[in-house]
Amino acid sequence: MNQIWGSMEQYNTVVWHWPIAVYLFLAGLSAGAIISAIVVKWMKGNDVSPWDGIIKAGAILAPVTIGAGLCLLIFDLTRPLMFWKLLIHYNFGSVMTIGVLALFAYMPVSILFLFGVFKKELAVDGPFKFLAPIADLALNYGKALEAITLVLAVGVGAYTGFLLSAMNSYPLLNTPVLPALFLASGVSAGISANLVVGLLFFTHSTKDANVSYLHGLDVKVIFAELFFIFILFVGMMYQGGATAHAGAAALGTGGLSTLLWVGVIGLGLLLPIGLNFALPHGVKHSHAFVIFNALIVLVGVLALRYYMLYAGQTFVG
Amino acid sequence: MAKKYAMVHDNNLCIGCQACNVACRSENKIPESVYRLQVWVKQEEYPNGSLGYEYHRQSCVHCENTPCVSVCPTKASHVNEDGIVLVDNDLCVGCLYCVAACPYQARYVHPVTKAPDKCTFCHESRLSRGEEPACVTVCPTEALVFGDLNDPKSKINKVLSERVTYRQKERLGTQPKMYIVPNHKGGINS
Repeated sequence: MNQIWGSMEQYNTVVWHWPIAVYLFLAGLSAGAIISAIVVKWMKGNDVSPWDGIIKAGAILAPVTIGAGLCLLIFDLTRPLMFWKLLIHYNFGSVMTIGVLALFAYMPVSILFLFGVFKKELAVDGPFKFLAPIADLALNYGKALEAITLVLAVGVGAYTGFLLSAMNSYPLLNTPVLPALFLASGVSAGISANLVVGLLFFTHSTKDANVSYLHGLDVKVIFAELFFIFILFVGMMYQGGATAHAGAAALGTGGLSTLLWVGVIGLGLLLPIGLNFALPHGVKHSHAFVIFNALIVLVGVLALRYYMLYAGQTFVG
Repeated sequence: MAKKYAMVHDNNLCIGCQACNVACRSENKIPESVYRLQVWVKQEEYPNGSLGYEYHRQSCVHCENTPCVSVCPTKASHVNEDGIVLVDNDLCVGCLYCVAACPYQARYVHPVTKAPDKCTFCHESRLSRGEEPACVTVCPTEALVFGDLNDPKSKINKVLSERVTYRQKERLGTQPKMYIVPNHKGGINS
């Protein structure tokens, strides 16, 4: 169909741009960072200070990245000064409202977790002495708060997928596997970010056993991601018609498909798996390699969010 | 009884003249370079080699099951009591979720208010005065029929009872209230 008279500019199907992709990345990373910090805390029985560097990294990364992501999100609104209306007007049928409410609860618990872990630095020796009761609260009710935080973090990690999959205008996004893919890649990004920050900034408190544990977990999550991406496209092929066309186009058209094959699958998923199997034990467990590996995983996850957002809105069948 | 406004676009009567487009812009004071309504054309070649034109009215189809209203986090996007899909600018934060979720690309961002805007069936102007939408009134071939589906005697119900009609992307379950009388030649691409 061609227009007869008038501009076609408003009919561009790409409505959401890169700030949304970065937000999706940061939200997933935040959830993944706190999930993996709590997992290390629980599985490794690190119930009292001194905390492992991984836990410290997660405690800092979770609130900082979600805060940065939300700022980005607010400034990307076409009416940013109206954003507060999101906080007082709800539509419980909208994934965005569910997300706002989840973040409403997630922000404070992630900050509580931060104050619990950094009680000494922030509330005893630091500038937030008046918040010492908050830090005590976080420590005294640690297990319960962490359980709530874990559930909310899974909610935050998955909702970004539901946010996109709720739209039946975009066949690549309108698939049930997207929330699972986003949650898995968010956990992978969180693990990687924790490893980078833990090894670079908390070198002395980061235990090698925990580094290997998380690194091993990451490889398993990466296999899950590969499988979810496979399911996504096979599912589109089986639906036939416009959906199959959109799927085929998304796999093989232009720079976006290059980004998928090279950035997301090659660099972000296959290379970490390949290196993990190919390299000798000594190299694999060196800090330099773990950091390098974590960085390529992070680039891959950002590429995945960027690809899904743009390819999803571009290939509409 | 509440009304249930709907429209018919007859592909055989439409000549693609854009009078509806221009009338809409004039009535609703639409800023330059954005459109609530356009008519698109596609040249068709039929199996016997003859040629023809297919016309498409590109505007809001006023779904009964509205994706744009479902996704709106503040209920700024809403359906009024007469079945017309509207945007309440006071509640809109400009997240553009509705613009993305609309399978019909019916919405655009208003350059002044920065809120999504769309066809309202002239609800705020002509309809409230008891007149038909501007596009319907101005159409020189009477390709557009507007009316109340809840009134059995309405002109639109007469057309819907006598003519074959279809709606775009019915497979999505959106139940548009924009009915199309298909071109009586060739196939239907819904």
